[in-house]
Amino acid sequence: MAASQRDISVSEFFAKNRHLLGFDNPRKALLTTVKEAVDNALDACEEAGLLPEIWVRIRAAGENRYQVDVQDNGPGILKKQIPLIFGKLLYGSKFHRLRMSRGQQGIGISAAGMYGLLTTGKPVKILSKIGRNKPGHYYEIQIDTKRNQPEILNGRGEGDEIAAGERGRQAIEKLGIEWVDVDHGTLVTIELEARFQRGRGSVDEYLELTALANPHVTLHYTDPEGHEKTYPRVTEALPPEPKEIKPHPYGVELGLLVAMLKATRATTLSQFLTQSFSRVSSGVSQRICEAAGLSTRAGPKKIGRHEADALYKAIQRSKISAPATDCISPIGEDLILKGLHQLVPGEFYAAATRPPAVYRGNPFQIEVGLAYGGGPTTHRVSRESLVELLGQSDARTLRQFLTGSFDGVGVQAADKIIHEAGLRRRMTPGKLSDAEVLRLHEAMQSVNLHDGQTMSVLRYANRVPLLFQAGACAITQMVTSTNWRSYGLSQSRGSLPTGPVTVMVHMASVWVPFTSESKEAIAGYPEIQRELRLALQSVGRKLAMYLRRRNRVKHEGERRNLFLRYLGEVAAAVSDINGADRAKLFDQLLLVARKKTAEADVRLNDRGRPVGEGLEEFGGSVIVVDPEASQASPPAAGGAAAP
Amino acid sequence: MSKSKLGAQDKKTLGQIVQLADGVVKAAASRRDPYLDVPSRTLSNVHYSRAKGFLEMGKNSNRRHLFNLNQAKAYMQSMLVASKCKMLLDAGKTASLRALFYAAKHTIEGAREETFDDQSECDGMIEDMEVTINALREELHLYAEKRGDVVGEITVVDRGDEIDCTRMGSGGYGIPSIVEPEVVQFKRCDAKFVLHVEKGTVWQRFNEDKFWRKHHCILTHGNGQPPRGVRRLLHRLHNELGLPVYCLLDNDPWGYYIYSVIKQGSINLAYESKRMAIPEARYLGLRSKDFEECGLSGSVKISLNETDRKRARQIAKYPWFAQKKPWQKEIARLLENGFKLEVESLVSKDISYVTEEYTPARLRDRDWLD
Repeated sequence: MAASQRDISVSEFFAKNRHLLGFDNPRKALLTTVKEAVDNALDACEEAGLLPEIWVRIRAAGENRYQVDVQDNGPGILKKQIPLIFGKLLYGSKFHRLRMSRGQQGIGISAAGMYGLLTTGKPVKILSKIGRNKPGHYYEIQIDTKRNQPEILNGRGEGDEIAAGERGRQAIEKLGIEWVDVDHGTLVTIELEARFQRGRGSVDEYLELTALANPHVTLHYTDPEGHEKTYPRVTEALPPEPKEIKPHPYGVELGLLVAMLKATRATTLSQFLTQSFSRVSSGVSQRICEAAGLSTRAGPKKIGRHEADALYKAIQRSKISAPATDCISPIGEDLILKGLHQLVPGEFYAAATRPPAVYRGNPFQIEVGLAYGGGPTTHRVSRESLVELLGQSDARTLRQFLTGSFDGVGVQAADKIIHEAGLRRRMTPGKLSDAEVLRLHEAMQSVNLHDGQTMSVLRYANRVPLLFQAGACAITQMVTSTNWRSYGLSQSRGSLPTGPVTVMVHMASVWVPFTSESKEAIAGYPEIQRELRLALQSVGRKLAMYLRRRNRVKHEGERRNLFLRYLGEVAAAVSDINGADRAKLFDQLLLVARKKTAEADVRLNDRGRPVGEGLEEFGGSVIVVDPEASQASPPAAGGAAAP
Repeated sequence: MSKSKLGAQDKKTLGQIVQLADGVVKAAASRRDPYLDVPSRTLSNVHYSRAKGFLEMGKNSNRRHLFNLNQAKAYMQSMLVASKCKMLLDAGKTASLRALFYAAKHTIEGAREETFDDQSECDGMIEDMEVTINALREELHLYAEKRGDVVGEITVVDRGDEIDCTRMGSGGYGIPSIVEPEVVQFKRCDAKFVLHVEKGTVWQRFNEDKFWRKHHCILTHGNGQPPRGVRRLLHRLHNELGLPVYCLLDNDPWGYYIYSVIKQGSINLAYESKRMAIPEARYLGLRSKDFEECGLSGSVKISLNETDRKRARQIAKYPWFAQKKPWQKEIARLLENGFKLEVESLVSKDISYVTEEYTPARLRDRDWLD
């Protein structure tokens, strides 16, 4: 099948096409390296049926140089395979393998190793164990670029065996490897020229988003500054393993068809068709051959270009049933909710998983999650926490302090707060007087930052976050073209809506179509757009219901306040006139007020049922949070804000 | 004035206010939403009763609930005004509209809101109260600024003080804002009719020339559109003392309108026509024929403008004028003339022409419009 290995010198190709492989700039290089390693780790664990736990460590190793360590608790790699996986480009390629997998999007970890080698001269270091009492293996590998073969540098070209047990641990220590003691797993270390930067397109962002879409993973992350962060798993259930399927005739282009004909082992055309494709029975293959004017018994290898063209056209014209769609394993509404709730602050969550669909013969499935609300982090900070943060902060100006310390606070928002507090932008955070701190705190509570906030869109393809080229992506385009105004958000034409809302969109497919080789933006096939639209509308409707209900409750609350105010006056006036018992009258009127404004008494308890009113009207798959339950706690200083 | 000295009217009014409050208590006790039925004071709810000869309010009313977001405040304000009126009644005192506004205005407990923000809100509530319990503002012990004066052959007792209107000098007796029987009683009357003029300056003329002594009448003016006190006084003089009322007003649509209000009542206060309208009031002048008849000089003419014409046509359509031929002719003649005349223009004939010739002639010849 496809993807035969290139015959040109690999290093030449690589050097000329770094951008294709995700290494166009130092920052992206770091990200791609981490991405490949983590994707591999996840795939390996899932295929082995293990709940993944992954450790990522990034350490500065000189100027513009970083060492990346990624370890997992997966099945480990067989000794034989290690050199091939890390030392040979495109080995075990998942290109054109029709199975929902992460790796489809990458060139593989070997490219990262090669980049490391090119920029620092250091080899890739791998330590792998497949069992507790089995010996582990340690390799230092680099690629021979001309021949595309692995070169093992240690153990006299054979690598080192690490004994099991205590002796092994000591050996590992002596080698200077930081290995988390697991019974089985793999640790990959790559040193490369790179740049570490937080914010958009950063490792921090990637890891956080990965945790969101993979709720069965526990992720430990240590950044170059030594900060450690753990994303614990929210479910013990592994996602079901996706099946590999044969390609569907509709999805195969002419060039691929010709290649398949050449490569097939089938002896007759009819056999070729039924064996190579899904949904092609002998009856169907007969129809196709007839339509192409070819014999069913023709030899596939003897089919010329011209006939292949006729065959291709005949396939497109024939009626073939849609492929089976059970080859996709979506995240699922429940886990999307859990994941979102864990990572994104909010008071309302909704999710929708569409049924599987097909585009150009490829099965796919769209899922959407939405998180709304959760006051900006500035609202939830207590006076004491604020004082602490001010003391700890090394920001030079007040404005920097605000933008740096709190998620979702941009320059405009910071200015607003500062203005409201009557302070100046350039004041030193640590030197504010008590009265000034008090004013700042009050301003933080009262300033409404929602006006500035745009909807965040988190994009995923096969559970891998897409960090770049948002504008070109079909997901972003569909989100922008959805009319969020009808769901209660404000939105100017052609833009994303504003408000404290995050939308997460996941496309799972055996073959995710990208707009370019960089594989960051999904192509907008009509079937895909349709599914996106329907999924977005589904969560939009739930959001609308929630907003309406919330406004109703607020409205009712206001109503009741209004009545309560006047009740006192009326009771007093009446009592003045006819001498009635004022307190008694007030209580009686209060009861009537209660009756009239029953809705205001609806309480929403944490994560679920309002007392006396179910969530049935939402149609399932929502979480509603009781605002009082989420306590004020100091937000994480620095770090990547959810984009 | 202690409670026992309250007049019958006051007792009645008090009773109605108390009834309102009792309604609230009853509703609250049975867990129902208390409400007020406030008669509608719009044009659509005003009708001219041919039989009675004045404007009346219809039966439409608006129900004002306490537990309705849009009406709650109004409801509260109504009850507040009612309680303040009761306070006045109990104390046997009167207060101005603005004073009541101040009495009722305060910050609602537990809120940053005031009961009233503007006097106009309070005035509106007072009018609502008038129609709801069917009591005149005066009966609620509320008064507005007074206007208008009276001289003539009548003696009244005003809050215990005896006022002989033949001895009021050049100033006359200022007609009080409240002339209810409890406040003003008629002691002695030698007058045979009432002459009501539009302006104070015209009234001065008549007073200086002692017209009222010569012709044995009562002379009043309302300073333009007469306030309620003046209309009420005229009504009482007409109904209680059986005195005919004659009006001497400018010859223009405004004069016609003043007469119309005196005669039929106003749309705005249709609910009090019963106590203020004088269907038998007579219109002496000025008439549109007077320019010719009196031989006035052309210089005293004032041209009619578009508003005047529109107004004149409107008035011609009033039900109580529509059927009357003489009035139709009168208005038609005015429009034909294309000008209006003020009473004071008669001075161009002679200073005292209006008191010595014009008015007596009209009275003698019974030359008036009805």
